[in-house]
Amino acid sequence: MANLSTSQFVDELNRMFAEETEAAIRYLHLINAVRGMDRLMVEPILRQAFEETIQHALVIGQKIRTFGAAPQLRVSVDCPGEPLTGKQAVEIALTFEEAALEAYQDMLRKIEGDVVLEEFVRAQITAESQHVAELKELLD
Amino acid sequence: METWKEFDQNVISHSAAHHLMAIDDLVGKLGYARVSDVARLLSITRGSVSISLQPLKKADLVLQDENRHLQLSPKGQALVDAIKTKRSLIERLLTELLGVAEDWAKVDACKIEHLLSNTSAQRIVQLFRFLDSGTPTVSAFTEALRAFHSDCSHDPKICPTCEKDCMAERLPED
Repeated sequence: MANLSTSQFVDELNRMFAEETEAAIRYLHLINAVRGMDRLMVEPILRQAFEETIQHALVIGQKIRTFGAAPQLRVSVDCPGEPLTGKQAVEIALTFEEAALEAYQDMLRKIEGDVVLEEFVRAQITAESQHVAELKELLD
Repeated sequence: METWKEFDQNVISHSAAHHLMAIDDLVGKLGYARVSDVARLLSITRGSVSISLQPLKKADLVLQDENRHLQLSPKGQALVDAIKTKRSLIERLLTELLGVAEDWAKVDACKIEHLLSNTSAQRIVQLFRFLDSGTPTVSAFTEALRAFHSDCSHDPKICPTCEKDCMAERLPED
């Protein structure tokens, strides 16, 4: 590992585990908060993103286990109880997906030199970039 | 009776106040603040910070430049300055005047700082101006206050402070 010790890398993974878990909870909220005709178009997209985000969290959890550690989860989510339009929901999703993408990009810089870990983080970046691009396309 | 609703309508929630103060602290220490720095300082996720910053940007309290660096707008800075002033006023009121332990005072000040109106805060400033004036009346007042130990009879009928029920009984030790 170039810059991080194993425990530091586990800390980084825990942060990403929290990002993904929190994003999944937010998607769960968005799926149910969109009202009106927009639901027809947006719900399947949000549902798919929710499932992919849960999958990402599972992969990160598995990665933490391979380091001999157990995932530590600290999340704090407060989603307002107001109905949303499809556009508002996509804008919210874009906000936290961009944050997750940036977090992975930062992580990549820290683990530069470790081929296996780099590959893992690059794969996550590819998936997150795709999410962000798809959401941006919906807002065009 | 409708006052409690104002807590929900307050532009600055407890969380928003901490986000603004985190940006102020980071800019003061590092010269810049990024979403990742705020997330680390507050021990929350970047996603959470990004979501919380949206209404603060819309309210023109936080600005983000092309490098995604955050800073407070003049309006946001004025708000943070007011909150920090209120925090220090409440802490001083609780510790110096009322004898509350410093740790408790810090926690309570943190809970109240963003809710206290400027009008009430100005009256607290006025109180300290009076207390700091050093006149014989002030010295006598503060000495009398510190020396005062009231034995509570828990009987509202003879208590000059309580009306129907004993207030002390309603406030058990934390």
